[in-house]
Amino acid sequence: MNMGTDLAYNFVFKVVLIGESGVGKSNLLSRFTKNEFNHDSRTTIGVEFSTRSIQVDSITIKAQIWDTAGLERYRAITSAYYRGAVGALLVYDITKHLTYENVERWLKELYDHADPHIVVMLVGNKSDLGNVRTVPTEEAKVFAEAKGLLFMETSALESTNVESAFLEVLTAIHKKVASKEVTRGSISAVTLGQTLGPSSEFKEERRSCCNSS
Amino acid sequence: MMAQQENGRRSSEDTMSVMTLGSQFDEESSFGSDSEINGFTSSRQTDKYGFIGGTQQYSTQSAQEVPLEVLRHREVKWLDMLNHWDRWISKRFKKVRLRCQKGIPPSLRGRAWLYLSGGKVKREQNSGKFKELDSMDGDPKWVDVIERDLHRQFPFHEMFVSRGGHGQQDLFRVLKAYTLYRPDEGYCQAQAPIAAVLLMHMPAEDAFWGLVQICEKYLPGYYSAGLEAIQLDGEILNALLKRVSPPAYRHLEKHKIEPILYMTEWFMCAFSRTLPWSSVLRVWDMFLCDGVKIIFRVGLVLLKSMLGSREKLKAGLGQYETMEILRALEPQYLQEGFLIHQVLELPISSRDVEREHRVQLRRWRKTHGELSYKAPPRMHGAHAIMSAEPHTRQDLRQKPTIIVQYPLPSDTKSEFARVKKRSTIRKAPNPKVEVTNPYAMPTDPKLASLNNQTQETASSNQSNHPPPSLQQSHLTTPENTPSSDPQPPQPSPNLSRTPPPPQPSPKPNPVHPTEIPPSSSPAVTVQPLALPKDSSNSNNSAHLTDPPPTTDSTPLPPDDTPVNGSSVADPRVPGLRNSSESVGSEDTYL
Repeated sequence: MNMGTDLAYNFVFKVVLIGESGVGKSNLLSRFTKNEFNHDSRTTIGVEFSTRSIQVDSITIKAQIWDTAGLERYRAITSAYYRGAVGALLVYDITKHLTYENVERWLKELYDHADPHIVVMLVGNKSDLGNVRTVPTEEAKVFAEAKGLLFMETSALESTNVESAFLEVLTAIHKKVASKEVTRGSISAVTLGQTLGPSSEFKEERRSCCNSS
Repeated sequence: MMAQQENGRRSSEDTMSVMTLGSQFDEESSFGSDSEINGFTSSRQTDKYGFIGGTQQYSTQSAQEVPLEVLRHREVKWLDMLNHWDRWISKRFKKVRLRCQKGIPPSLRGRAWLYLSGGKVKREQNSGKFKELDSMDGDPKWVDVIERDLHRQFPFHEMFVSRGGHGQQDLFRVLKAYTLYRPDEGYCQAQAPIAAVLLMHMPAEDAFWGLVQICEKYLPGYYSAGLEAIQLDGEILNALLKRVSPPAYRHLEKHKIEPILYMTEWFMCAFSRTLPWSSVLRVWDMFLCDGVKIIFRVGLVLLKSMLGSREKLKAGLGQYETMEILRALEPQYLQEGFLIHQVLELPISSRDVEREHRVQLRRWRKTHGELSYKAPPRMHGAHAIMSAEPHTRQDLRQKPTIIVQYPLPSDTKSEFARVKKRSTIRKAPNPKVEVTNPYAMPTDPKLASLNNQTQETASSNQSNHPPPSLQQSHLTTPENTPSSDPQPPQPSPNLSRTPPPPQPSPKPNPVHPTEIPPSSSPAVTVQPLALPKDSSNSNNSAHLTDPPPTTDSTPLPPDDTPVNGSSVADPRVPGLRNSSESVGSEDTYL
């Protein structure tokens, strides 16, 4: 992102894409941030990332979406990847049941490395291939609810629900985060820890006291 | 809520319009010729390396063009080295290194890489092994992952664009074979681009052994579970950066940008996904010669170029922006001319790498405990590998499988040429009678007698060694061309993929030896090439000029190889000159 052409934004949220290799993380990223899809997108090795700014309730949020290799082996190097993330899209492929079965392991990985307050959405991707579906929507939905996760089925190929998924996550993050202006020039991603600090709470309490008296 | 416009890009919710890249490549018709892009219109050109629409990081300035005469000159030298490989490596390695630094001639790159990496020896000593692995079913767990990756390696390279095409098939074979060869290692995704680059230059079996060597000798542990080796190398890179570019180092430290966030793809893929293709090839030439220090040097040059000065490190450059900078490397720093020069100038040695490795390993043990996977010590290049692995001359012998036999003058009606199929198509096996010979020699009564001599020695030679390839003998002819002769324009260097069918017409030249003496060295033992002085030195960086031929091209004298009037049985084999096109040509698999 070229700073010169960036629109003003109030927040920067770091969101990570996780899930098994081949479920479509990279295409979800490119679809959301560049409106692009590629059948032959390269295997992700290392870290890829992209940004996009969106408006949520008249607040401008710059979403920093991080993408990495899904292969088991790469989990060894992901702790740096999770640092500072406030949201996660845990992606599986609705046509490959195994990728759904491994969601539990990914959740564990997530909670081992990321902020405990991180907003997580379970995403069943490749919904355009409904005719070869192996993971029933209801089943995944129930699982997500039980685990306190948001849920959506998407198709990066057809661009179905991709925007909605990201927007829902970003909105949920925003709700958890108190207002804190990020001035242009100092770009540090907001973390949940910062914003739940005593100072902001204190300010709000004082305001309500004064108002009520 | 409305999604906002970003940089003028139209964003919409749930749109059905699908902008797909790559969908124009037809998935179904993948069994056509690999040289054609199935379902593909002619709107995009394939560059000389095989990339459609231009090579990655395409830039017209990025590749340096080497004059054809220089290329031919280098080929002669390389053929000589390959014919005496063990001696060159053990006794004249500095020269080998220098030649690798200048860039291996494209026509010999695949072969040189196989020799440099020790893959050639491995292949000879494990004859039948690849075939065995190839015939086995892989572990389904690995097969599944590998299959998912086949269409995701260099998808815009013509070799790999077709789903189920030969390129992807070979990629599968090589990667699957590795998981069977090293079942405890299995498959790591970064091995795919490595294997793909090798496959662009050599057949599957060779690429397999090249991969083995890279995974086990050059970059041991990189692809193993736990990825500890790559993490350690990240720390080593960071530590070396402190010395090479303190501003870059400080900036990365300040913003807590861990090496693993930017160097993973660089190192694990040996820069094959990062640099313009001509630079990738130059880096690999040096990497296979000198080992991982080259990879470190490239990384350091990139970091220093992008982050090494005040101007680069503007105020407010945060973690994310810095990472973006390292992803969007400026093309000027990636071009052959600049990059290779900088790499050669950087004073980081293998010893520096090893020393820092020990330091970082100590630190690692303190924070992570003992390494869960103990990788074997790495070998820093061709010399180390050769020294460590016992081999015989037989292992190193080149075995060209194209044998062209010419009829004797009295025998023009007989089978013109027996051509054995070879898996790479690097040489045109059949001479075309009609082609203008750019190396036309003055008719010389001496020739006839020389050829007769050759024939006699050849037929009396009881050696079992296969004759050297067509290419070698042909290459000698330029030596005899007086430099003052105006040369006709060179034939186009582009190879046709399929060799032309054998032509039964009689040859115009009177004498054809039926066998070329197996000692291939004599063919190149002769006078140095009489190149025009001004032709060669304009390429490469200023430091890498071609030395004048006279001092340089003296190959080692043949020793054990059968003596057969060596210097005489040589270059003057007129019949072979007609197969002129293929030599020195760009291999279209590159």
